[in-house]
Amino acid sequence: MTTTITKQFHVDHPVEETWANLTDPNKVVVCVPGASLTGQVDDNNYKGEVEMKFGPVKAKYDGLVTFLERDSATKKMKLKGVGTDSKGKGGAEMVMDGVLTEKDGGTDVNVTMEVNISGMLAQFGSRLINDVSNQVIDQFINNFKNQLAGKEVEGNLNAGSLMGGMVKGLFGGSKKA
Amino acid sequence: MIQCKTSKAIGGMGHSLKRKEDDRFIQGKGNYVDDIKLPGMLYMDIVRSPYAYAKILKIDSEAAMKVPGVVAVITGKDLAQYNLHWMPTLMSDTQMVLPTDTVMYQAQEVCAVIATSRYAARDGREAVRVEYEKMKPVIDPYKALDPGAPVLRTDKEGKKDNHIWNWKVGDKEKTDKVFETADVVVKQQMHIPRIHVASIETCGCVADYDKVKHHLTMYMTTQAPHAIRTVIALVAGHVGLSEERIRVVSPDIGGGFGGKVPVYPGYVIAIAVSFLVGKPVKWIEDRTENLQADSFARDYHITAEMAGTKDGKILATRFKVLADHGYTDASANPSKFNTGLFSIATGSYDYGTSFMEADAVYTNKPPGGVAYRCSFRVTEAVHAIERITDRFALAVGKDPAELRMQNFIKKEDFPWKSPTGWTYDSGDYHAGLQKAMDAIDYAGLRKEQAEKRKKGELMGIGISTFTEIVGAGPSKDFDILGIKMFDSAEIRVHPTGKAIARFGTKSQGQGHETTYAQIIAEELGIPAENIQIEEGDTDTAPYGLGTYASRSTPTAGAAAAVAARKLRDKARKIAAYLLEVSEDDLEWEPGKFSVKGAPEKSKTIQEIVFASYTNHPQGMEAGFEAVHYYDPPNLTFPSGAYICVVDVDKETGAINVRRFVAIDDCGHIINPMIVQGQVHGGLTQGIAPAMYEELIYDEDGNILNGTLMDYLVPTAVESPKWETGHTVTPSPHHPIGAKGVGESPTVGAPPAIANAIVDALSPYGITHLDIPITPFKVWKALQEKGVK
Repeated sequence: MTTTITKQFHVDHPVEETWANLTDPNKVVVCVPGASLTGQVDDNNYKGEVEMKFGPVKAKYDGLVTFLERDSATKKMKLKGVGTDSKGKGGAEMVMDGVLTEKDGGTDVNVTMEVNISGMLAQFGSRLINDVSNQVIDQFINNFKNQLAGKEVEGNLNAGSLMGGMVKGLFGGSKKA
Repeated sequence: MIQCKTSKAIGGMGHSLKRKEDDRFIQGKGNYVDDIKLPGMLYMDIVRSPYAYAKILKIDSEAAMKVPGVVAVITGKDLAQYNLHWMPTLMSDTQMVLPTDTVMYQAQEVCAVIATSRYAARDGREAVRVEYEKMKPVIDPYKALDPGAPVLRTDKEGKKDNHIWNWKVGDKEKTDKVFETADVVVKQQMHIPRIHVASIETCGCVADYDKVKHHLTMYMTTQAPHAIRTVIALVAGHVGLSEERIRVVSPDIGGGFGGKVPVYPGYVIAIAVSFLVGKPVKWIEDRTENLQADSFARDYHITAEMAGTKDGKILATRFKVLADHGYTDASANPSKFNTGLFSIATGSYDYGTSFMEADAVYTNKPPGGVAYRCSFRVTEAVHAIERITDRFALAVGKDPAELRMQNFIKKEDFPWKSPTGWTYDSGDYHAGLQKAMDAIDYAGLRKEQAEKRKKGELMGIGISTFTEIVGAGPSKDFDILGIKMFDSAEIRVHPTGKAIARFGTKSQGQGHETTYAQIIAEELGIPAENIQIEEGDTDTAPYGLGTYASRSTPTAGAAAAVAARKLRDKARKIAAYLLEVSEDDLEWEPGKFSVKGAPEKSKTIQEIVFASYTNHPQGMEAGFEAVHYYDPPNLTFPSGAYICVVDVDKETGAINVRRFVAIDDCGHIINPMIVQGQVHGGLTQGIAPAMYEELIYDEDGNILNGTLMDYLVPTAVESPKWETGHTVTPSPHHPIGAKGVGESPTVGAPPAIANAIVDALSPYGITHLDIPITPFKVWKALQEKGVK
């Protein structure tokens, strides 16, 4: 089960500063809701874990984060995360492409995320994966902006709001009919 | 229409006797496998693969063994020490019990956790850590045949592709020739989706091996206890489990529908563990395991073709099948029939030639191919012929009812030899369809439809006039693992005239305890309520091949009638002795023999039975018992005419089944109420694949609807009001003229519904939709045709 999400956002910080944060594993990983770094293998490979709740299903992934590309000249980066559910219920893979371009003194960030989930989560979450991935990436963007602004980042994916949002979405509560 | 030869007090054939078994079921006194609790019993839970195709790198059971109550974690390597890690399938393929290195489908068994309570077993299961190396699975059966596709069955030496077998029947040359010259040829590709029987009770067992007596008692959810006993002896004979040391007990079963015919790995693991530790081991699947791992049904991709004249005469058919068997061929077919009885796809129509070909492939999906309420692939066959017949009617511009009437095999032409070699025993297709058309007011509906179409409203009428083929089967062609598909009955009448009868079949809700008693009551005149029926214990019942494929009445029902007739012959001899007349001077009426011309001189069956124990003629064997093993001379061919009316909402695609008339012909009816119940249930299981059910896998082999939250099983809410009726065309070769009915409605309903929906959409040029036809599919099809 694979889903691809593309997002663009703007930050009021110079390209070089944004680039530094985006390519520093210690900074970028904490912006991913529920994620933390647990160790470094080498310059490009890091160990980490992600914990997420999809309604009743809680998944904790132990995994490896690899920088496949970090080109500071073109400001292009490619990041791959591979994780296995710690209870053996399945796995997840994520490939993120990021491109930075200068705009009005700030930076336009283009992110494409390809998320593949398998196992229990794919079974249960097939209807939720788009919503959840969108929520994850939105919260990532928010965290990333906050980090650049020197504010605190929210560590956990807010599962309550996630489910609430979905319920609202289902019943049209937050949308116009 | 239904005539009863016996009084209501006797309750023979044709009486709507209330089901004897229901007394215990409605009072919660049924005894299912999970009700069995033995002293010292251990519980088993199974770790299952999250991936469709992966190498197992490591199974770490350390944490699991620390869970209080967990006593063992059993892996494939443990079973390999006893050569119990593989088992044969019914189709002589092979299947892992537990893997030693590779998992082949999502939810496959990886290892088993044994504990002192069910909760501990589940906790232990959660604590087992398995490391996998994921591999790219083969999911699409068409891509499985690509030259570059990964070869899945690397366990088979020399296997170079994913092809399992090729099967052909019919005259290719003659058929191709007709197709080349015919006025009209129609062709339709269709998929009969992978579905699941979804019985209320999941599968499970209690394996109880006694180390002192060297004896295994296996309580399990099986539709074929004797066959299972033999299979266990064949698989585990080498470790000392020979057949006389095995007793299989199939207690009450909460729905089988074919899903409880196969031997699942869980059963074998439970036996192995009980054998090793000498304690009873219980294994009960949960709902998702049942839905995700147990045998599927159907999954045939069919290309159907029909050739005919422009005025509507059918001349020939051609069918090409691609069968997706999942990881192994674990179909539940008679051995000689790769595609089961698919060759019944020539249908109810009189034409000269047909050619059918099928190829089966391996994919990374669960194995199966069970006969889900269907006599071995008959549902697939009937859907193909009934859909392509409608397409042909559309192509020649004829009403589908009229076209069917034009092409039906005539009543007087039976027995009729089909182009694929079957001999249809009897039928009256014209009468069946006429009765259905009258019941539903066909002409009136067509008129209403024409008016609605003028207003842009969508209404459809669909017909299915199917021929079933059940009662497997004659021993010259039919066997399972070499055992011929006869079935058996043993009747013992006690001195006071009450009886017990035992059978090799096994009811899963069919009502055998009532209907078998009625057959014996019909033949012997002993009231049905005084006849106790017992099945499911291999220590007491005579050998039989079990209950599936609507075979119980055609085989064991016949055995009951023949055994009872043997007893009646004996009764005549005893009566002649008691009345001091010659046997020829006696007349039989249900329940007694009397002297011709002197009806006051008579002996009741009860008096005769009592005499057989207290005053039997010298030289005659005492007692009143008989056994019969019935080998049917032919199959039986039930038929039906179903008409369905639907209204479709153009804007939402919502489908409302407004009416459904089902006229069945199952020959002589044993119990009309039970037949009606069977038909109601079967029709509901027919609407299921037509409109709701399909097991869906993504490209990685993840099942996307592996819970009943997503896999939509219709309930009373979704079921329309079923309107049922009968024509009665007895089977000429069956002792009581019965044909079997359990599957007919499940087989016949889907094409009636599909034909109705397509008929509703036909004004927009829509000529086919694959089942399940959901509102979304309808909406999408209409959108594609630009309908707003």
